[in-house]
Amino acid sequence: MPDNWGFVLAAYGLAAVVLIAYWRRLVRRERATGAEHRPTVRRA
Amino acid sequence: MTFARRAFIVVWKDLLVERRSKETFNALFFFALLLLFVFQFAVGPDRERLAGTLPGLLWLGFILTGLLGLGRTFVVERENDCWEALRLAPGDKSAIYVGKLAGNLLLMFVVEAILVVLFGIFFNLDLAGVLPALVVVIGLGTVAFAAVGTLFAAMTSQVRARELLFPVLLLPVQAPVLLATVKATEAVLLGEPLGSVAHWLKLLGAADVIFVVVGVLTFDFVLEG
Amino acid sequence: MVRIVGGVTLVALAAGLVMAFGVAPREVTQGNVQRIMYVHVPSVWVAYLAFAVVLVASIVYLARRVDGADRLAHASAEVGVLFTGLTIATGSIWGKPTWGTWWTWDARLTSVSILFVMYLGYLLLRGMIEDPDQGARYAAVLGIVAAFNIPLVHFSVYWWRTLHQPPSLMKPGPGTMPGVIVAALMVNFVAFSLLYVYFVAKRVNLLRREAEAAA
Repeated sequence: MPDNWGFVLAAYGLAAVVLIAYWRRLVRRERATGAEHRPTVRRA
Repeated sequence: MTFARRAFIVVWKDLLVERRSKETFNALFFFALLLLFVFQFAVGPDRERLAGTLPGLLWLGFILTGLLGLGRTFVVERENDCWEALRLAPGDKSAIYVGKLAGNLLLMFVVEAILVVLFGIFFNLDLAGVLPALVVVIGLGTVAFAAVGTLFAAMTSQVRARELLFPVLLLPVQAPVLLATVKATEAVLLGEPLGSVAHWLKLLGAADVIFVVVGVLTFDFVLEG
Repeated sequence: MVRIVGGVTLVALAAGLVMAFGVAPREVTQGNVQRIMYVHVPSVWVAYLAFAVVLVASIVYLARRVDGADRLAHASAEVGVLFTGLTIATGSIWGKPTWGTWWTWDARLTSVSILFVMYLGYLLLRGMIEDPDQGARYAAVLGIVAAFNIPLVHFSVYWWRTLHQPPSLMKPGPGTMPGVIVAALMVNFVAFSLLYVYFVAKRVNLLRREAEAAA
């Protein structure tokens, strides 16, 4: 059977993209709430 | 006031309201009839194909009608401000759940009976011999459906987009029940004895117990606030 | 503290990759594409772990009304959905070269898909209720119903697929595999579990901060 490295790359690549994107989302939102404690700006 | 009596009063109230207005039942009956046409058109005139998909179509009919009927379980309370009254009623709130469940079961059984008869007529089925077995399967499946449906109906009645959220929440949970009932119905309609689908029936039985127990235990938390 | 977990997680993930590509052998029948298993199976494991945590946290919340339990349930459900989606995607990608099709209703993909939509519904419910107390209560009830449904899903799908049907190509489970492959799988299990803990910890913190900011 051929090795289908393309598929392996796709699977691992997808996993990496999704997990890193989620991590970045968490970090970004964390910074946003951290920043709110300085000025008293209320978010809607 | 005993639990059973309180549950019974809920059923009785709903039955009286329904008997006077007849709105839910009439609309559901008409909807079920329309489904028959839709199924026939969707599947096409080929008799064999139709025969193969029949158990699935029957349960699709039950589910679609059930979604409409169950989704409304608590809407009538919301519209008439009875929700507050239910909330403030003293004692065990799960009596209300049992009452609503009983009412829903009654409604579903009537609609299902009609659908089975209509299916028999339109698709030319010989149901005489298989009826008892069919009743068992339908009964077990419907209890599971109504148990979760009643609980979710209470939850979604409080939400803005309730007509959307109710099926979205209910259908995935019903997936195993649907698998079981369609397989069991398939066997029953072919004339096989109930023993051949014992594992499916046991699954349905387990689902019934689990869902009713969870419903009874958690309904208090849904009715709060 | 969370940073330390993050650091350890990174190391574990790297170790997992090394095991998956460097140490584990090329599989006999499928070839190297079988290495997808080292990301697919740990993902499934994390998903089930996440939903088990949702169940426990939901029960604790209803019993004790501890806000932390509600936040844990929310975070765990979110991470669980993430890994469930990943399971389905990697499973599909694995299936294309091995089974010739992107999708098949085999037992695992079907079960996991049902889980996916159940807990996606959980997140949807949370998103649609404005009152935080009501949202927490309703989500907890849904979390409990969904968790009890999981065994029903398993049995029904498994019977649906295997009875009266020729068995589909089953991916090798740990019990029948040589030690090296099991070891590689275990390392990735640990790595993914740590990732789960890291994500949930960060998510819970975020929820707490957002709740405090809104108060």
